[in-house]
Amino acid sequence: MRKSVKKIIAVILACLMLVALFACGDKKTGGDTIKLGWMGSLTGDQAAYGTCESQTLKMLVEEKNAAGGILGRQIELICYDTKGDAQEAVNVAKRLCAQDKVCAILGPNASGQCIAIQSVLDQYKVSDMSTVATNEKVTVQDGKLKEYNFRVCFLDPQQGKIAGTFVYDNLKFDKAAILYDVNDDYALGLKDNFVKVFTAKGGTIVDEEGYTAGDTDFTAQLTKIKEAGPQIIFTPIFYQDFIMIHKQARTLGIDLPMLGGDGCASEVLFDAADAVDGSYVINHVSLVDPAGDGFRAQYAERWNGAKMELNGYMAHDAFVLWCAAVEKAGSDDPQAIADAYCQVEVDGMAGHIKISSEDHNPVGKSGCVERIDGKNKTYIFETYIAAD
Amino acid sequence: MDAQYYLQQLVNGICLGGMYALMSVGYSLVYSIMNFSNFAHGGVIMVGAYVGFFALTALHVPFLVAFLLCGLGSGLLAIIIERLVYSPLRKRHAPSLYFIISAMGASIFLENFVIATIDGTPRNYPTIFSNSINIGGLSLGVDSLLMIIVSAVSLLILMFIIQKTKIGLAIRACSYNEKAGTLMGINSSLVIFVVFLMGGILAGFAGMLYGMRFIVKPTIGQVTNKSFVAAVFGGLGSLPGAIVGSLLLGIMEIFVASINSNLRDLFVYALLILVLVIKPSGLMGKVVEDKA
Repeated sequence: MRKSVKKIIAVILACLMLVALFACGDKKTGGDTIKLGWMGSLTGDQAAYGTCESQTLKMLVEEKNAAGGILGRQIELICYDTKGDAQEAVNVAKRLCAQDKVCAILGPNASGQCIAIQSVLDQYKVSDMSTVATNEKVTVQDGKLKEYNFRVCFLDPQQGKIAGTFVYDNLKFDKAAILYDVNDDYALGLKDNFVKVFTAKGGTIVDEEGYTAGDTDFTAQLTKIKEAGPQIIFTPIFYQDFIMIHKQARTLGIDLPMLGGDGCASEVLFDAADAVDGSYVINHVSLVDPAGDGFRAQYAERWNGAKMELNGYMAHDAFVLWCAAVEKAGSDDPQAIADAYCQVEVDGMAGHIKISSEDHNPVGKSGCVERIDGKNKTYIFETYIAAD
Repeated sequence: MDAQYYLQQLVNGICLGGMYALMSVGYSLVYSIMNFSNFAHGGVIMVGAYVGFFALTALHVPFLVAFLLCGLGSGLLAIIIERLVYSPLRKRHAPSLYFIISAMGASIFLENFVIATIDGTPRNYPTIFSNSINIGGLSLGVDSLLMIIVSAVSLLILMFIIQKTKIGLAIRACSYNEKAGTLMGINSSLVIFVVFLMGGILAGFAGMLYGMRFIVKPTIGQVTNKSFVAAVFGGLGSLPGAIVGSLLLGIMEIFVASINSNLRDLFVYALLILVLVIKPSGLMGKVVEDKA
């Protein structure tokens, strides 16, 4: 008897707790907030990028909310991890649209994921403003505009063009080798356009070597490249491979500089500062531009001295653009915000932003090239090159 | 493409093979005694790489201390896995398939345990030996040289233990026939303990060397798949076989990659299938019916 009484009490208590839990939930979501979604890699190879984006957004949202929010309402930021995986990105996009009912999505930080979530965006009619997805197919595929995909960054063809121009015109090199991930759309896009521009100007590609994702030993390819005798190695890849390739090149006695795309620019590079010294990266914005000092300091203060990645600047620009679009739309209606994106113009960290209604890409962007100074663990600004 | 080029590629192959050797010996050791492929070995190597990383970056100990800590940590982990996972199966005389499945489980567990407790972000070892030496136009990184030396020395010590000491004799006896060995008064639990300890220590060394040269992340364990192929190629259960197989595989892989890097994994796994189909005992393995 006693036991069953205890059981009943336990069940009642458990029910009470559940009720209390639901009550909490109601209170939290029932408020009149504007919900903004973010997705990106918080774990995996590109975790440094995603973490910086989400932290920047959290900081900006806190700041905006403290100043009264937007349209007189507070912003509620909901962040999910895509683990750097396209399938996971689709799941996360569904959760943001169907369950959380956000008014717009910012991120994710890779083209493959942005391309994957298109069908979800179209189904729920929620817009996505990508931060650093540079692949052409993110906004336009097979000549067809994707209605709900936008971006604030330049594109791979433009980046390949910047790379080719920089190597030939600025460095005055005419022999380049390429080492890239053969299965990666990003790498392919950059490589093709680099080759096109570089050879058109009169340069020669002396060797082209590939590898597949997950490979860690590049000594065979690097030895071959050394034999071909280039003046620079173009590496349109991500920073982890960029570091490994540098380390192995240096132990093989290859002291050539390398040129990476925006996927290489990261503070993580300075983990291998000696190896990457003297190489170049293309970036959306100069990471050492004094104009960004205040922003960097604010970020460092909020996140225990963390260093700002490029993604922070792009997340900032996406957020500012979203704020302008919400104000223009005058509501948090997803469709109205999507429409407003092409009507507003803002000044971001990476220059003036105006989204073209034809291809949902920003107009008149330029890219900057920076040299890595391993000794002082910093970047040295080289030049700006127009992307168009 | 002169002789120098091919020599350099050969050196690259030996460096890669040396690392495979450190890893594949762990597979072969366990296989020779317990007749199953210990897939948890990859997880042990991965943990070793993390131990070394944190010893260097968080504890700021000198390289040598970190290196020994790696061996210690991985050795302990290997023993813990043996006690918790394999020992109960052994007592029940479970078929080797059960061991393999548990080993895979342990490997996935370790990977996810690290993701859950630390995180999935790849880490880079601080630069320890950045310079390279130049011998007659051939470039050899100090870390690669270290890798070859450590591989050679630890494998020699291991061979010495197995060929010249009493416990080595016991290990060899058990690898021929565990039951008969036990009847002759050999403590087979002790033999298994020593085998896992030695395999674990080597795994720790391999993990740290791998991390220094490449990267530290929870999925390193999957890289060891290739060292498993090397062990099969050389003949599972044979230590000289594992070493020869690893070196040959490393060299062949580098030359295949230098022709077309897309073919390297295709080549490695085609070799695995070929060996299993044509000569399951590998280059110098002991002959047994069920190879798994």
